[in-house]
Amino acid sequence: MSEKNMEEKVEHATNSKNVSLPMSRVRLIMKSSPDVSCINQDALFLTTKATELFVQHLALSSYKNGSGKETNTLSYSDLANAAEEKETFQFLTDILPKKILARDYLKSLEEMKKDDDNL
Amino acid sequence: MDGDSSTTDTTQLGITGEYMTGGTYVLQTQDDDGDESFNDHEDGNGGKEHFREQDIYLPIANVARIMKNAIPQTGKIAKDAKECVQECVSEFISFITSEPLKLYLQKFREAMKGEKGITPVTVSEGLGEELTDDSFTGQLPAGLITADGQQQNVMVYTTSYQQISGVQQIQFS
Repeated sequence: MSEKNMEEKVEHATNSKNVSLPMSRVRLIMKSSPDVSCINQDALFLTTKATELFVQHLALSSYKNGSGKETNTLSYSDLANAAEEKETFQFLTDILPKKILARDYLKSLEEMKKDDDNL
Repeated sequence: MDGDSSTTDTTQLGITGEYMTGGTYVLQTQDDDGDESFNDHEDGNGGKEHFREQDIYLPIANVARIMKNAIPQTGKIAKDAKECVQECVSEFISFITSEPLKLYLQKFREAMKGEKGITPVTVSEGLGEELTDDSFTGQLPAGLITADGQQQNVMVYTTSYQQISGVQQIQFS
C-alpha cells in the first residue's frame, strides 16, 4: 500500500511543472563546465528536473539495496555500495569511496609491509 | 587588514587572497568585475579555482527534502549521506552538461566542415552512451521540441549567430 502511494508521489513530482531545486544554482554549476557559454532556458529546466529525478532514483535504489529492512536509515555506505554495484551510478565511484576505519587501514598497511619483508 | 572583501586589496597584495571571515569570502588576483558574483566569466577558466561551498552545491535542504520524499515514510537519512548526495548532484549536473556538449561540438565541427545543417543533439543520445539505464531517459518530463515533425527531447546549446531551423518552442503539457 505504502509503496503505491510512494509511486504516485514520485509520479506526481515527475509530471509537475515545478522544480524543487533553485535553477540559478543549477545554471552556475552548468557554467563551471568548460566551453559552456549560453544555456537555453528550456535546457536549464530540463536539467533541473532531471537532477530532481536523479536524486529520487539514487536515494530509492540505495535505500532498497542497503539496510532497508533493518535499520530503516539511509547511510553513506548504502550510497557507496550503490555506486559500486549499479552501472548507472558508476560515474560516482570517485566521489563515493567506501570508508574504512583508520586502524583497519593501518593494519592492512602493516600486513603489506610484512609481505614485502618476507619477499 | 579589515574584513573588507574588495578585490582591489588582493591585487595590491599580489597574492591569491582567501579571507576566512564568517562568510568565507574568496578573492582572486585576476581582474574580476564582481568579487562575490560569479556571473558570466566569459573568458578564462583560469581564475575560477576557488568557489564558495554554497555556490558549487545545491542547497542541502532541498536535496534532503527530495530524498525524503523518495524513500518510504518511516525511513531516515544519515547526515553524511545527505552531504554526499549533495556532492553527487553537482557531479551529475556537470556530467550531463559535458556529455551532450561533446557530442554537439563534434557535430558542430563536422557541420562547419561540410556546411550541412545542424541537427539538434538529443539528450537521450548524449546520456545513452554513458548511462545504460534506459528508464532514466524515459522519465524526463514533457519537454518536447518538434523538429521535422519528430518529437524528441532536446538540449539546445545556442551560440550567438546560429539559428537552428525547424525547432519550435517547447510546449509543456
